[in-house]
Amino acid sequence: MLSKKRITQLASTGLAGAATAALVAACGGGAPAASSSKSAGASPAPSILAGANCSSSATHLTFWAWVPGMSRAVTEFNATHKNICVTLEDPGAGSGEYVPLDNALKAGSGAPDVAEVEFDLLPSYEIQHQLVNLVPYGANKFKSDFASWAWSQVSQGSGVYAMPSDFGPMGFYYDQATLAKYNITPPTTWAQFAQDAAKLHSQNPKAYLIDFAANDAQWLMDMMAQAGAWPFEYHGGSNLTINWTGPAQQKFASFWQPLISSHEVATVTDLSTQENTDLDSGLIAASIYSAWAPSYFAPNVKQSMGQWRAAPLPQWTAGASVGADWGGSTYPVFSQSKHPAQAAEFSEWLCATDQSWNIVKTPPSSLFPTYLPTLQSTAFKSQTYPISGSSQPNQVFSAGALTIPQTPWPPFMTQLLNQGGTTFGAVMTGKQTLAQAFATFQQQEVSYAKAQGFNVTT
Amino acid sequence: MLREGGRAAVSETALRQPTAAVAQPRVWRGPGRRSVYARRRGRSGLAFVTPFMILFTLFMIVPLVYAVYESLYTTKLIGGTRFSGFANYSTVLQSGPFWGGVIRVVIFGGIQIPVMLAIAFFFATIFDLGVAKWGRFFRAVYFVPFAVPIVVSALMWGFLFDPAYGPFNRLMNSIGFHNFNWLSSGLMVPSIIIIAIWEWTGYTTVIMYTALKSVPRDLVEAAILDDTPLWRIILRIKLPMVRPAIILLIFINTIGAMQLFVEPNILNNYQAGVITNTWTPVINIYSTAISNGEYQLGAAMAVVLAIIIIAISVASLAFRNRRRSFS
Repeated sequence: MLSKKRITQLASTGLAGAATAALVAACGGGAPAASSSKSAGASPAPSILAGANCSSSATHLTFWAWVPGMSRAVTEFNATHKNICVTLEDPGAGSGEYVPLDNALKAGSGAPDVAEVEFDLLPSYEIQHQLVNLVPYGANKFKSDFASWAWSQVSQGSGVYAMPSDFGPMGFYYDQATLAKYNITPPTTWAQFAQDAAKLHSQNPKAYLIDFAANDAQWLMDMMAQAGAWPFEYHGGSNLTINWTGPAQQKFASFWQPLISSHEVATVTDLSTQENTDLDSGLIAASIYSAWAPSYFAPNVKQSMGQWRAAPLPQWTAGASVGADWGGSTYPVFSQSKHPAQAAEFSEWLCATDQSWNIVKTPPSSLFPTYLPTLQSTAFKSQTYPISGSSQPNQVFSAGALTIPQTPWPPFMTQLLNQGGTTFGAVMTGKQTLAQAFATFQQQEVSYAKAQGFNVTT
Repeated sequence: MLREGGRAAVSETALRQPTAAVAQPRVWRGPGRRSVYARRRGRSGLAFVTPFMILFTLFMIVPLVYAVYESLYTTKLIGGTRFSGFANYSTVLQSGPFWGGVIRVVIFGGIQIPVMLAIAFFFATIFDLGVAKWGRFFRAVYFVPFAVPIVVSALMWGFLFDPAYGPFNRLMNSIGFHNFNWLSSGLMVPSIIIIAIWEWTGYTTVIMYTALKSVPRDLVEAAILDDTPLWRIILRIKLPMVRPAIILLIFINTIGAMQLFVEPNILNNYQAGVITNTWTPVINIYSTAISNGEYQLGAAMAVVLAIIIIAISVASLAFRNRRRSFS
């Protein structure tokens, strides 16, 4: 959902998102989870949000998550499962949670039974054998309840290492008034997109069709996945393929580089104050955003309220329908847990019941479901948002949810996002072309993976 | 009228603790045995320092030793933890980005500290002369930035320097510098210098002012009777007398500069692609240890940085003592 992907990225770079987070928080309202900033070193004491009033004989579980409003689901679970008592703690978004979690896992005690972990980070915990295989606890019976991309993300071999919760199918999210002003309709192919970007920028040299935030390596890789240029192959164990310089990657780079060089796309940090302001004021007309856009972006909107619409992602091949995902979370059980059966029961309830989804799909949680019964329900698809007027953006995002290509993340995503921030940052300042940065990054990632003991194929 | 009033503030000696000639109570020691008083004093002294030493050991010495110990190992995702001797140190010493970061903070400190000291001395002198109306009010006002948390001031300056919406860029545009960007690669260090000067000048002024106040009045009066011009009194009498305070400030600020972290970290949110993950040594340590999960390599970097800082400290103390022995 919302901030999670961004928070991880900023936090993991060590160049923390304090500013963004503080701003979002300051902008008030139902601002997303970003409100818990994690400026380096100072993590606030975890706030305990639910878990009081349990019977004394109940099995006690600790649960860490930063999704706002999650306490409502925990309270509901505790009320309906008298033999289990879940205590929710919010240690802070992204690294606010991951850093203490990693420390507790290293120390051998102090980890929660269940915690929120984003999709891309799941393999990083799997490789350290920190997660409980949920198959013995009946996880497989839920397989058909989930979008296939999400289920494959939590699976490795015959094991299932987490329950998937929300995700972020991507789309072309645009301000219809701004596009109309420049006489542009949402492009259906990337070729059309490139023409539209040039057309818009030529009419107003201060305005851009979208922002290409290359320094957000997660977003960049999600875009590459849609282009069939996913740069990794990894399925557990010590074998890893890294390929940032193959023909598909070069094709991707050579599509975007002319747009960057001629300044036909903006190059500012995504989800930043500046991007939000430019989107709101019409200087950036659209965004390759995700399903959590309507809830995440909304608090930043002043002038363009009601004008935002969702369209499917532009396609590399006309007539195709290939989607992509940006962000999302899972709920694994940690092997430190003394009560894995009860922890699994909680995670399964949280991610795979109508009871839970009826709560967490609503604000302030506003989770976008991987859980098909909710994802495909008419009520969910036809939901409207003040930012989008009478339109129904979930129609687009729900359809896109079923066409996401596989993204086998390497098991060291915090390193990747950290290095990506620096290496691809050079693309935004014009110091390197995207192709050059891909070559640099290839060498950096291969060298890191080898130092970590992987058998690397390029 | 050189002084505002007769109030002597904190004594200058308080600022130069290690070598300050604070008068020690004389204790007669009999041949071959310590007096009862001395022994009692030794015991109570021990009692006073014990709580500090326990905390100091637990939270400084133990972690330091642990960091050194850790730095001799290497943990791999595949293969676990192995003793690797000085391999991490060899990596750090050969790392171009690490030394690039060290050079950057040295340049930063080399400009920021002298400029800040000059400004602070100027203000401290004005306050000391008592020529400024509302002196106490302005001393308080100048001190305010020091009370603002660094994260908050970095955020605030981030808005001021913001490439798209910051008033400072608009100002430069309006006077003809088009596409001026305070946070571009070339100007990031100067911009952070401005922020650091803003943050620390008030604090530095207060310390200098206190030191100036403790310059013996009769010395200044004698100079006045000799018809010494004011500027000579300031530069030839007062400035040398507050040298210990200045050396202490250089010392503290150098250590601070070497550990630059928060300001670039926050400004990274306003300008993509300038602050790299190795921009300063501490950013490098943080990103290596926390983001890359290479805790032991990060520990080795931290040890190397500590040695650099200790070397600078020892050099500055040696310099200070040498100057003292000549005077």
